[in-house]
Amino acid sequence: MKSNFSHAVFTAIITFIVSFPLLGLNLVTGGTSMSIEGAGPTTWMYIGAAVAIVFFFQLFRDQFTGLFRHIPKPSFNTGYQSLEPAKKAKVENWFTFAIILIALVWPFMVSRGSIDLATLVLIYVMLGLGLNIVVGLAGLLDLGYVAFYAVGAYSYALLSLYYDISFWLALPIAGIMAALFGFLLGFPVLRLRGDYLAIVTLGFGEIIRIFLLNATSLTGGPNGIGGIDKPTLFGMEFGRRVKEEGNTLFHEVMGISYDSTYKVIFLYLLALILVVITVFVIRRLVRMPVGRAWEALREDEIACRSLGMNRTVIKLSAFTIGAAFAGFAGCFFAARQGFISPESFTFIESAIILAIVVLGGMGSQMGVILAAIAMTVLPELAREFQEYRMLMFGLMMVLMMVWRPQGLLPSKRPHLELADDK
Amino acid sequence: MLEAFLYFIQQILNGLTIGSTYALIAIGYTMVYGIIGMINFAHGEVYMIGTYVSFVVIAGLTMLGIEYVPIIILAALTIAIIVSSSFGWAIERTAYRPLRGANRLIPLISAIGMSIFLQNFVVNAQGARDVAIPPMISGGWTFGTENFQASLSYMQLIIFIATFICMSALTLFISKSRMGRACRAVAEDIKMANLLGINTNRVISATFVIGASLAAVAGLLLGLYYGVANPHIGFIAGLKAFTAAVLGGIGSIPGAMLGGIILGLTESLTAAYISSEWKDAVSFSLLVLILLFKPTGLLGKQEVEKV
Amino acid sequence: MSSHKKFLKLGAAALLAGAASVASAETIKIALAGPVTGPVAQYGDMQMIGSKMAIQKINEAGGVNGAQLEGIVYDDACDPKQAVAVANKVVNDGISFVVGHLCSSSTQPASDVYEDEGILMVTAASTSPDITTRGYQMVFRTIGLDSHQGPVAGNYIADKIKPGNVAIIHDKQQYGEGIATSVKTTLEEKGVNVVMFEGITSGDKDFSSLIAKLQKANVDFVYYGGYHPELGLILRQSAEKGFKAQFMGPEGVGNNDINAIAGPASEGLLVTLPPSFDKNPANADLVKSFVDVGQDASGAFVLTAYSAVQVLADAMVKTGGTDTDAMQKAMREMNFSTPTGDIQFDEKGDLKQFDFVVYNWHQDGSKTEAK
Repeated sequence: MKSNFSHAVFTAIITFIVSFPLLGLNLVTGGTSMSIEGAGPTTWMYIGAAVAIVFFFQLFRDQFTGLFRHIPKPSFNTGYQSLEPAKKAKVENWFTFAIILIALVWPFMVSRGSIDLATLVLIYVMLGLGLNIVVGLAGLLDLGYVAFYAVGAYSYALLSLYYDISFWLALPIAGIMAALFGFLLGFPVLRLRGDYLAIVTLGFGEIIRIFLLNATSLTGGPNGIGGIDKPTLFGMEFGRRVKEEGNTLFHEVMGISYDSTYKVIFLYLLALILVVITVFVIRRLVRMPVGRAWEALREDEIACRSLGMNRTVIKLSAFTIGAAFAGFAGCFFAARQGFISPESFTFIESAIILAIVVLGGMGSQMGVILAAIAMTVLPELAREFQEYRMLMFGLMMVLMMVWRPQGLLPSKRPHLELADDK
Repeated sequence: MLEAFLYFIQQILNGLTIGSTYALIAIGYTMVYGIIGMINFAHGEVYMIGTYVSFVVIAGLTMLGIEYVPIIILAALTIAIIVSSSFGWAIERTAYRPLRGANRLIPLISAIGMSIFLQNFVVNAQGARDVAIPPMISGGWTFGTENFQASLSYMQLIIFIATFICMSALTLFISKSRMGRACRAVAEDIKMANLLGINTNRVISATFVIGASLAAVAGLLLGLYYGVANPHIGFIAGLKAFTAAVLGGIGSIPGAMLGGIILGLTESLTAAYISSEWKDAVSFSLLVLILLFKPTGLLGKQEVEKV
Repeated sequence: MSSHKKFLKLGAAALLAGAASVASAETIKIALAGPVTGPVAQYGDMQMIGSKMAIQKINEAGGVNGAQLEGIVYDDACDPKQAVAVANKVVNDGISFVVGHLCSSSTQPASDVYEDEGILMVTAASTSPDITTRGYQMVFRTIGLDSHQGPVAGNYIADKIKPGNVAIIHDKQQYGEGIATSVKTTLEEKGVNVVMFEGITSGDKDFSSLIAKLQKANVDFVYYGGYHPELGLILRQSAEKGFKAQFMGPEGVGNNDINAIAGPASEGLLVTLPPSFDKNPANADLVKSFVDVGQDASGAFVLTAYSAVQVLADAMVKTGGTDTDAMQKAMREMNFSTPTGDIQFDEKGDLKQFDFVVYNWHQDGSKTEAK
């Protein structure tokens, strides 16, 4: 109790030091000089409350932890893990099928804003799944994934601007371009390990962004590229009026009255198809030798080399394939936005995608999907907090990590483990 | 001819100034990395908080009618160090300690979250606008011809000297003191150090506190030098300092110094002879290039791959 | 949307309309879209206080066609991606009028959605010419264009200052680079010697290398395209380095914060600004109502946002309803008397005339017209 008391006093003092000078004293600019002003009584109350809470929490820490122990930790996979592999695969297939079915029917039941938000979620799912190959499966820390996203987006935007190429043709090209960049980046970084790799990829992401920003004559620089065509369905446009010669209008062909919701639903379904394809392709890849090799490399690089596996090829393939999915996502993003500029491709975007992968439980697809939903929907829900929105977002990221460091749905493989001798 | 030379000298001085401050912030990254092997992305925010706190102190003392500059600066320095190290301690305690032993990506994400949180904490507490203080130490030496004059301000000199003192003190501390030895032991092998009776939690806390104090020094110095702060300066500075730390070899204290200086010089020379808009791209390209030839940075230890 | 749901909605709307005619308690919602968070939140603030004040004043005067206005704030954080999300949310919430967005890069993608949906948008702050060159019907603005402001500055430099070597610096953002390019074109047409055209990184703090470069190039006039934080630092550091040149900037630098940052170095800065509407005697009462609630009416976008709301309200009165298509047609023909002067819109939705005036900025935050 005594040691708890001194610790409680200490933490309370720290809480005070941390909150008082920034919250309690506000800098005020007046003309050319600067002065400070005491904050209002409510702020003081908050500071006092924070100090008191920390003090009492630390003082009765033992009792609290005792209390918490009675609350079971949340578990997402009760019973499920114990199923036999064959049965599990069956359950999983049904599960996937059900989810896709729900996702298909869902947009016809909800409001337009929700569909639009869901489209955004799907973009992040695609990005998360792509980065999951690099980080989750191959274990290569990539902090510049947004570069490939940008390459994909700009590929479509530029092709549409200069050569009038349609979305459907641009989609594979964007993927290939992004893959090419992944391949090019892969070469130099092969020698690097761990965090050195992280900073090089971060640097690469910044170089791409700065290039897009500075090559004004090609990319419009900070002005970005606007008026990018929306995707069409067999030559049918979803706008009110025909934009491209030779196209028809969806609502005219179908003989229904114009409703802009069709466009939103169409974009959503398109994204859904892309995501489903992504999920299945990656699922196959993981079961193929190359996928096994990625995971082997992540687990033990030296063992891989001893077994005569070609590190270069494995790492390069992970980078390239991961980048390709970012390219698809980028292409779709450009089509959905209709306008892109370098400010959509900053480092913080990379960080959010990485957070999705990590929060999802590295390597697990379902986890990535859940995390993408959490990371996109929660800030939207937090809109009513207005200026506290980003504050909550940051706090949430920390809390989620502390709460479930293994991720929402960690990937589980049947495996034997020696007794933990750590 | 002389002008071109003076111009070059001027740009070198500018580069050294920027580089010194990068180095001071980079220390925080390098020490934490050296000891627990994680990238503390929130470190840049601690520097930003250091600047804000020193501004609060400076504005407060000026309001009280104290005008003797050394006293103001000393007070600002002390309080900024106290507050920043409290932040460093609190961040480690709340966001990183519960994650000890988890996959190393987990604390990284937690750190990014912490960085977003702290930025917005200051936005909400102090507003998103730039705050500024009037110049406190002005003047300097100029030399050169009529057409071009190179200058070295007192403030720049103070930054060089302060950086040098901090670096020497830190090196001495790490090599000579008990805590320093404990730090090295923990960096070498955390489990072994624990077995030998070193309180590793304490060492790690101390690392965060020292890193944060140096960031506070940088916060005060840069606050005085530029006279301006906003809640977003920490993120940019943090990114640069992190680059500097990796460039020099993350985990190595002289490496952080060297990396900072090289980064500062690259930026200033690119701005001088190519164009300001490319300076970040050139710095990052240089980083990639150096890592290609020295995969663990300039002064980094060649890691032995352990099975 | 299923037809079933639509039917329900129609029913609900009819019911509401019926209720409104009885109780006349209907409100007309206006979305106020702009950055509430993020690095440029202070500009969002200007827009919000201006538009909210307008809504309050109009409501106090009895509202529009017997209905009260209601402003609903949407935060886009000046991020293009969030701007599209906000636009869709506005559609979702069934709002037909938008005052915003602030940043041109947000306004542009958001206006695509509004145009498709027949939502009437009036921006009070986006100055990029691109926004109104796409033939859209629903997009208006109550502020001048970058391409208007550039020539005003360029002509002033060429005709009044007649400098030897001019350097043009910009912050590599849509607004800054756009204006800088327009100034450069004007100056080159007039035969002024532009020795440097260079971008900096916005958010940078150290401009010592740039200043040394300016010194070496013997520059005696610097035009800066961008916002006040960077120019403030450039001024401050120039003064410390003993670099003396005449500086000039667009309306993005003309606010009181630059005095705090640059201190005495801000004395004599040239700024192109919309005429300071808050100094106009006709607006004295209005400015006073801002001051009474502790707000500052002198921000660049406060009164333009006020005008944006008023334009919408006047058009509602004129057309006697809230049909946006009728309103946009009417708006192209009407004359509006607003705190930012008597305004008319052209075919594109831009103001027919929006003057920029060159001011001398002083270190106490005041300004006088430059002769």
